Amino acid sequence: MIKDAMNRRQSLKLMGAAGLGTMLSASGLPVFAGGASAGRVVIVGGGFGGATAAKYLKRLSPSLDVTLVEPQPRYITCPFTNLYLGGIRTFETLWHDFTELREKYGVRVVHELAEDVDVDRRRLKLAGGEDVSWDRLLLSPGIDLRWGALEGYDEAAAEKAPHAWKPGEQSRLLRRQLEAMEDGGTFILVAPDNPFRCPPGPYERVSMVANYFKNHKPHSKILILDAKDGFSKQGLFMEGWREHYGDMIEWVGRSNDGGVMRVDADTLEVETEFGTVHKAAVLNVVPPQKAGFIADRAGVIDASGWAPIHARSFESQLVEGIYVIGDATQAAPMPKSGFVASTQAKVTARAIIADLGGDTPPEPSWVNTCYSLIAPEWGISIAGVYEVHDGLIREVPGSGGVSPMEADRSFRRKEAEYARAWYAAITQDVWGTRFAF
Amino acid sequence: MRLAQMIKWGASMQQSRKRYIIPVGLLVAGLCLSAGVMIAGMTLAEPENEYEAVIGEAAPEGATPFEQRIQMIAMSCAACHGTDGRLQTAIPLLAAQPAAVMRAQLLAFKQDQMPDATVMPRLAKGYTDEELEALADYFSALSRKANPGSAL
Amino acid sequence: MQSIIHFSRVSRLLATFLVGLLHSVHTVAAQQGRPAWERVEAIQTLLNGAVPRPEAVRLDLPSVTQDGSSVLVTAEIDSPMTPDNHVEELYLFALGNPSPELAEIRFTPLAGRASVSTRIRLDRSQTVVALARTSGGDWLSGSRDVRVTVSGCLSRDATYQADDVMQTRVRVPPRFKAGQASDIRTLINHPMETGLRKDAAGQPIPEQIIELFQARLDDAPVLTVRLHRAIAANPYLVFHMAPEQSGELTLSWEEDTGETTVTTAEIRVD
Ligand SMILES: Cc1cc2nc3c(=O)[nH]c(=O)nc-3n(C[C@H](O)[C@H](O)[C@H](O)COP(=O)(O)OP(=O)(O)OC[C@H]3O[C@@H](n4cnc5c(N)ncnc54)[C@H](O)[C@@H]3O)c2cc1C
Repeated sequence: MIKDAMNRRQSLKLMGAAGLGTMLSASGLPVFAGGASAGRVVIVGGGFGGATAAKYLKRLSPSLDVTLVEPQPRYITCPFTNLYLGGIRTFETLWHDFTELREKYGVRVVHELAEDVDVDRRRLKLAGGEDVSWDRLLLSPGIDLRWGALEGYDEAAAEKAPHAWKPGEQSRLLRRQLEAMEDGGTFILVAPDNPFRCPPGPYERVSMVANYFKNHKPHSKILILDAKDGFSKQGLFMEGWREHYGDMIEWVGRSNDGGVMRVDADTLEVETEFGTVHKAAVLNVVPPQKAGFIADRAGVIDASGWAPIHARSFESQLVEGIYVIGDATQAAPMPKSGFVASTQAKVTARAIIADLGGDTPPEPSWVNTCYSLIAPEWGISIAGVYEVHDGLIREVPGSGGVSPMEADRSFRRKEAEYARAWYAAITQDVWGTRFAF
Repeated sequence: MRLAQMIKWGASMQQSRKRYIIPVGLLVAGLCLSAGVMIAGMTLAEPENEYEAVIGEAAPEGATPFEQRIQMIAMSCAACHGTDGRLQTAIPLLAAQPAAVMRAQLLAFKQDQMPDATVMPRLAKGYTDEELEALADYFSALSRKANPGSAL
Repeated sequence: MQSIIHFSRVSRLLATFLVGLLHSVHTVAAQQGRPAWERVEAIQTLLNGAVPRPEAVRLDLPSVTQDGSSVLVTAEIDSPMTPDNHVEELYLFALGNPSPELAEIRFTPLAGRASVSTRIRLDRSQTVVALARTSGGDWLSGSRDVRVTVSGCLSRDATYQADDVMQTRVRVPPRFKAGQASDIRTLINHPMETGLRKDAAGQPIPEQIIELFQARLDDAPVLTVRLHRAIAANPYLVFHMAPEQSGELTLSWEEDTGETTVTTAEIRVD
């Protein structure tokens, strides 16, 4: 595809007409002066990536015409669904809406599913029949589950053995099952191989379920059957599990026959690679994943199922003029986290504006902090700062890392407190949600 | 108005050339004071009609590439500190805090000189000293409350 | 047992005159337009001047991996696997590792399919190369670039549970169809100590690895694998077998200390 030269020239001309060229807004963020639109950016997905991009595009360039396409009238975060599953947070506190984006930032929010992408004509087809045209398209569609990648695990099976890896009804279903489970039952979590959404997520989940069991169903057991031989923050998790839950949680890695090959959602049985069958009272299957389907429609994914991007801008390597951020991308070593989707959105918003305006964006810098709760007052974290080096993303040498092992109780308590504060901050920053303090 | 803000930015940029030596003990006290106490079972606040400003404050026209990079990095700080660093929770507020204190704190984080630190030493090592100092100045130059007048 | 002799012969050749000789014999002209990896010493030695047919070995491994300590790789060649036309040998190399050799696999027609999967260690981003030699003496090749990153949320501790070392697992299909290849998967718990690590006191930990795997159906060899230290901890293999009649499958894993574990599985053919 060839970039629309007319378009760029046109937007430059518009800027010229305003007489000032690029100006800087009061925030120090460069903005386009004048009332005329500096271009039209269409965003698919109102999650961590998409909603952040919409807000920061408008902050950087108020005259941009920004449309956000998101089918759900309110977004439910994955972060903290584990706390909900553990019964220490209500479901309603995970809800966020698009009022601020619409009313304060002037983003056009369309609550529809984007069905298809016409790359040549630069049009996004919405389920309702409308066509939206773009100068730049930004995709942040999150993940889709690879149904059938695990034998026996399809959408129907998920009604009995939930994944709860895309939040909503699935999270409620899993919570109901945990509440209904009799004391003494076994909760099995099937964890996928890398890469997948939220690498510490499965282990935080069993922590929160263990906390619930400890208080309400103390004779119950938890078994993690893992397709990997190691996992994120493993030492810290295992230390915390011993401290809080004794031997309630058992983790079986791939080399100890933890790799699940087949799921029977009717009997709640799973069969491993070497033929061991485990039976659960509650079965939570986190299946292999891929980029949300719209990325496939746009032609931006490769054989891996994820979207390869140019490190500096997150413009697709496969289709010019389409940007991809968040879980859908191949952005390793950055993990697939909400924090990362949001920091990518900010850097990419700047890059898109530079692309439309013909200037050079600053050298990128991204950051991530992932908190996990092992118990309500026992938090751990992993952090990293990322940069581009030789055209590839890397962690800034010497930066980043995990919480120390054997830290004292007050350190863990503080990180638990920061985890909750982080949630309040990022949901304020992305959707304008306000929590009372 | 924009001019006034530019002057403010300029002032803080000048400040940035001075060096401050602040005892670590004082810094910690400062941090603790600025750290609010979080209510554990978080609840949703009543929706407010008055939003923060659409756009932050204070920056010169024709920012240098370095300044633009600082602005971009500052955007990512918002994930924990709220938009424009204006959120006060267990995680401290950044907007309108004394530049000298924040500079010293950030450098102390980077050099593992801050007692009781958790994640910040790991993050501060991802930036140069100049970037950390400029970030301190940037947040310091923002007002505590967003300016409703600057909205679209 | 012939296969073992064969492998040690290859290694011996590797260490002796061929290295020196081939270096000078190889003309620059023959190298032009050829991939750079063909000039890697271990590969040159093996090829002995032969020019492999490119992209004839399918190498399946992720283009980006977040954990270089265990990367699943599958190498497969289209071959009828008949007694007079089959793949005899397959060699896997990771060119960016401290030593490039990964594994050498010897197939017999009984394997039914020239395909093997295992897990390897990749020290950094690099090229993985596969070379295969057919019974007719042709050389085939395949290569893939792999980027190794350590993901921020993924940094993992070197946890290896050593309580069940030398324990093996095997899975065979409940029934085979006569002459049709089905897959067999097996694993042995073993740290595959590379000899490159140091203990807490700073002393080098000596190399201790599983170095030989053999699969036999009754007395007939199916597959033999020579493993090097860059095979991931808990060596894992998936291979194929196309038996004509029922029998007993014997899998043996041999450590470089000489210690050997043998497992058997009943094979039923319809
Ligand atoms: C249990 C769990 C715990 C987690 N905890 C944390 C944590 O503590 N911290 C953290 O940083 N991250 C955490 N994460 C990860 C985080 O949820 C994701 O990384 C993040 O949501 C990715 O953002 P995104 O914008 O890529 O996708 P999403 O947030 O999933 O947003 C995608 C949006 O796009 C919409 N969409 C998809 N397709 C279309 C279409 N065709 N048309 C229109 N709209 C579409 C969807 O409806 C969705 O709203 C957790 C995840 C899980 C599962």
